Amino acid sequence: MNPKHEILLIEDERNICNFIMTTLKSNDYKVNYALNASTGLSLAASVCPDLILLDLGLPDMDGIDVIKNIRNWSNVPIIVISARTQEREKVEALDAGADDYITKPFGTSELMARIRTALRRYTVNNNAPLSSQSKYVAKELMIDYEKHVITICGTIVHFTQIEYKILTYLSKNAGKVITYDALISHVWGPFADSNNRILRVNMANIRRKLESNPADPQYIFTEIGIGYRMIDNENLP
Amino acid sequence: MSVVVKNSIVTFCGLAAATIFAFIFSHFAPDNVSNISLIYILTLIIIVRYTDGYWPGLISSIIAVICVNFLFTYPYFELNFTLAGYPVTFLGMLGVTLFTSTMTTNMKQQARVIAEKDKLLSETEKEKMRANLLRAVSHDLRTPLTGIIGASSSYLESKDILSEQEKDAIVTHIQEDANWLLNMVENLLSVTRISNQSSKVKKTDESVEEIVSAAILRLKKRLPEAAVTVSVPDDLLIIPMDAILIEQVLINLLENAVIHSKSTQPILCYVEDGPQFVTFHVKDFGVGINPERLKNIFDGNSYIGNSESDSNKGMGIGLSICKTIITAHNGTIDVKNHSQGAEFYFTLPKEEVSYESET
Repeated sequence: MNPKHEILLIEDERNICNFIMTTLKSNDYKVNYALNASTGLSLAASVCPDLILLDLGLPDMDGIDVIKNIRNWSNVPIIVISARTQEREKVEALDAGADDYITKPFGTSELMARIRTALRRYTVNNNAPLSSQSKYVAKELMIDYEKHVITICGTIVHFTQIEYKILTYLSKNAGKVITYDALISHVWGPFADSNNRILRVNMANIRRKLESNPADPQYIFTEIGIGYRMIDNENLP
Repeated sequence: MSVVVKNSIVTFCGLAAATIFAFIFSHFAPDNVSNISLIYILTLIIIVRYTDGYWPGLISSIIAVICVNFLFTYPYFELNFTLAGYPVTFLGMLGVTLFTSTMTTNMKQQARVIAEKDKLLSETEKEKMRANLLRAVSHDLRTPLTGIIGASSSYLESKDILSEQEKDAIVTHIQEDANWLLNMVENLLSVTRISNQSSKVKKTDESVEEIVSAAILRLKKRLPEAAVTVSVPDDLLIIPMDAILIEQVLINLLENAVIHSKSTQPILCYVEDGPQFVTFHVKDFGVGINPERLKNIFDGNSYIGNSESDSNKGMGIGLSICKTIITAHNGTIDVKNHSQGAEFYFTLPKEEVSYESET
């Protein structure tokens, strides 16, 4: 039997705090909570949680700074809770090192799914570094990193160098939102033009090779104004 | 100050040019005073056109008359108004310039007045729209809130006598109303993204298929049973827009189609590429829309006085917000009934249309 995962919740709204705690406890997680950033940070250091849920709008400190502070000494998964209208803030949080974000208001099932994904990715990464994963499998899609081969329904599909680079990066971070900037600097290098038109074009080509209907994708989803998310790898232990 | 400077420069340059030209002309065709007068009159009209107010025209007409007399009529370099027939030329020239200068100035003033009136009118129009929206919103917010408050208090007061089933029904009802409220608030929030001053949105280049797929995804999250058939052109379309807002429009239209068409047949959502515009269609195969409502369905208050208002609650606001968003993108939105249901469609311009040169 797995030991219970510890989750630290940093959220200043008591009502939301209560609701999340109830949900988490009923799903068999151990929960600590903090109503402000400073308590949150000291709790994070003392209990070493397995995952942190962080609200960006805290009274005493900017959420982005909290992420940076935690990232200085730990790579515990951080899921950011934010309101819908603040894409800029979400992008900043992701670029600062947050693993994922969830938009207020959210359903419990969505929250649980995000937590599971983040926890699983974290355990896998800890046990076996990303580079040693050999395969990505989701639905009909299979990416074999060692052989540099991508197949859909068993048929090999050809991708250009750039497209392959994008796909491997997204699939190795499957389930996680990758911001436009992160993707561009990974594929074209840190000094690439941040104009993401070229990325859009490449994504459109990938979609046409990958998806049966580009307007109703199965594998790669767009998070408007933020980036892309690829569906979870089914090949994880 | 700058106006005075500009006027002086224009006046001076115009007169200097005319004088030089007249000198050259009189060198080749001496004693042709009437033609020289014509040159000056033409110059005066030009000066009046490019300066503001009466004064430049008036002053330059006097200068011109003096120049003609002083430089180009015998005796040269002397003012002499006693020449036979000259007073007629003189008065005619003065009259023509005064007349044109008055007329152009009047015209300019009138144009300014009209422009100001237009601006005022569009502002009252905007104000009216905002007031309408506010009225509709407060009406529409009260309904679900009443539901939520009523249901929750009846739950708290009588939870001992309610059966499990009844309790579930009450909580489900609260959830539905809350979701509906959320929907509304998201719509209202999206309107705040449109800047009040210019009614313009911040546009970035976005790919159409990504917006459509994101909208479909969110719709499915919200209404899991919704059936939508979606297609986009094979070519990648990248057009300038505020992606969040356009997504909101698509979600509103799709959600309306799911909820109000009273049909289980899949909704058709497709994008058409045109030479200047991209057109988005949302087509349902349901009951269609009452023809009386078609005309002012985007006005935000079309549900008032409607017998079936309850079944259509919120439709008005969502659509008027769609209209606001699309208008801010310089696009158009419209609706029509086809043989088997209703079809909403909106266009977005492919290239950024600039209105900078005006204003």
